[in-house]
Amino acid sequence: MLKIKGLHASIDGKEILKGVDISVNAGEIHAIMGPNGSGKSTLSSVLAGKETFEVTSGEVLYKGVDLLELAPEERARQGLFLGFQYPVEIPGVSNVNFMKTAINEQRKYKNLPPISAAEFLKMMREKMAVVEMDNSFSGRGVNVGFSGGEKKRNEIFQMAMLNPTLAILDETDSGLDIDAMKIVAAGVNKLKTPDNAFIVITHYQRLLDYIIPDVVHVLFNGKIIKSAGKELALEVEERGYDWLING
Amino acid sequence: MANIMKEKDYKYTPELPEEFKCKVPLPGTVQAFVTNGILREEITIDGGVSLKTHSGNGFIYEAKEGSCCKESLQVISFRNSQNTNDISIENELYFRKGSDSSLLLCTHTLSMDKFITQEVVNIEVEEGAKANIVVMQNEHNASTHKVDFRLSVAAKACIKINVITLHGALLENDFNVKLRGEEAVCDLNGLYLVDGKQRVVTDISMNHLVPNCLSSQLFKGILDNSSVAEFTGRIVVAPHAQKTEAFQANHNLLISSNAKAYARPQLEIYADDVKCSHGATSGVMDQEGLFYMRSRGIGESEAKLLQQLAFAYDVLEKIDNERLRKRLYDLVESRLRGEFNHCENCSMNCC
Repeated sequence: MLKIKGLHASIDGKEILKGVDISVNAGEIHAIMGPNGSGKSTLSSVLAGKETFEVTSGEVLYKGVDLLELAPEERARQGLFLGFQYPVEIPGVSNVNFMKTAINEQRKYKNLPPISAAEFLKMMREKMAVVEMDNSFSGRGVNVGFSGGEKKRNEIFQMAMLNPTLAILDETDSGLDIDAMKIVAAGVNKLKTPDNAFIVITHYQRLLDYIIPDVVHVLFNGKIIKSAGKELALEVEERGYDWLING
Repeated sequence: MANIMKEKDYKYTPELPEEFKCKVPLPGTVQAFVTNGILREEITIDGGVSLKTHSGNGFIYEAKEGSCCKESLQVISFRNSQNTNDISIENELYFRKGSDSSLLLCTHTLSMDKFITQEVVNIEVEEGAKANIVVMQNEHNASTHKVDFRLSVAAKACIKINVITLHGALLENDFNVKLRGEEAVCDLNGLYLVDGKQRVVTDISMNHLVPNCLSSQLFKGILDNSSVAEFTGRIVVAPHAQKTEAFQANHNLLISSNAKAYARPQLEIYADDVKCSHGATSGVMDQEGLFYMRSRGIGESEAKLLQQLAFAYDVLEKIDNERLRKRLYDLVESRLRGEFNHCENCSMNCC
């Protein structure tokens, strides 16, 4: 589904990604771990199409298409989703309107008519239940006045609404207490199918107790220095990153 | 004004052309029309509100003492090519003791003529009265319209004015407010949308003459192309006007690098036990917010529109009448989309 080959990216002339290679198949969950500043968030931003980063070389094929050629909204419409580490507040735009606009923009792209009000409400109700979100959230401004945990749950809710093929969750566990983390993880597990895939970027092994990855990558200094099965996460938890960096 | 229109110059059209009549008027609203400054018919609404012709151009609105009118009056003033002279209009609004009423003032032009309209609106809010006024301005690119609001607010009276400026070459709204009685409240809010070479000027003088009054101002603007917005907000607190609370905010969103916003907050405080604040900002689109929306599949132009609507949101939220708020929200949206025949209820794009 996703093939990243020799990806180099920089911001303001400073190289952050220095040749990343990852291959993700449908039905898989990949975890990307790594110390601060290793390039994890840059990788997710580049995949989602953030224009502040410049891709200097390498390629990313998503479902056989050159992902880097597409605008952020086109990537989303083709089933890519980024769960933000720091979800943005949009005062004045209610969650309902935001989601309705997003879904209809995606439907328009697929030549489908706008979603009916009844269908949309039903979907909202179902998906809010996935992350145990209160109905009162829907009328509030997007992420406005939300706690850290509520913002992250809102990301998972949006993911559930948009039903992506490939979801990248950027440190969705940061700032979450254990209960909120369980809700977020349960949401991901409910949405997982043999046809979609997840890339979970995390700092800690903790989240991976609840979301079991098929492959764990360690990113350091802009490169994947180790890829292995889920046991790698446990090893990192126990031994830190030094043995990988120096080994 | 150079050419004050005389009544004899005015050719009266017996019937208001169909296309100007709103097919779906706001529920609970009685409409009155003013053509080139002349009130077409006098109106009395059960519950104590009346609208009469002023001796010159303009109208006299009165909410009787102690009245509480469920229906609100909508005065639709428009200029058309039947009179392209410069005109002066003088309106008087009386909110008598203990009355409670709402008024919607809409101004339009119906042709591309170079209209110059100078208007004075004297507003007297008597003791304990509640006045709720929404002003909607939607005029052509050749229209210059200056409105001079002069407010006198008595003790325990409360007035709220929300001005929504959608379009016009040069629209100026001046407010001179005198809070004369204790516990008077004045809430002024405005949203202006300007593009092309349009210019919107807001000049406020908020005078706290006695203790224990509250005033607040929130004015926001979205500026595109080479448009200009000027905001001057002066708060004067008299020496003995203790316990005054006065707040002012002016925020501008600049869509184009050629647009210009000038903000001049001025505070003159002569009392020592007051709570006053002011804030003025000019900013551009939030790139993080745009990227967030685009990452959800929302196209760039739609994302920009959402952000502008979000910026306008808190001013529109100040409008109490929910149906009116919804209509204005729709008009603001169609204005920002650049498709200004969105409101199909009449040809005026009124609300």
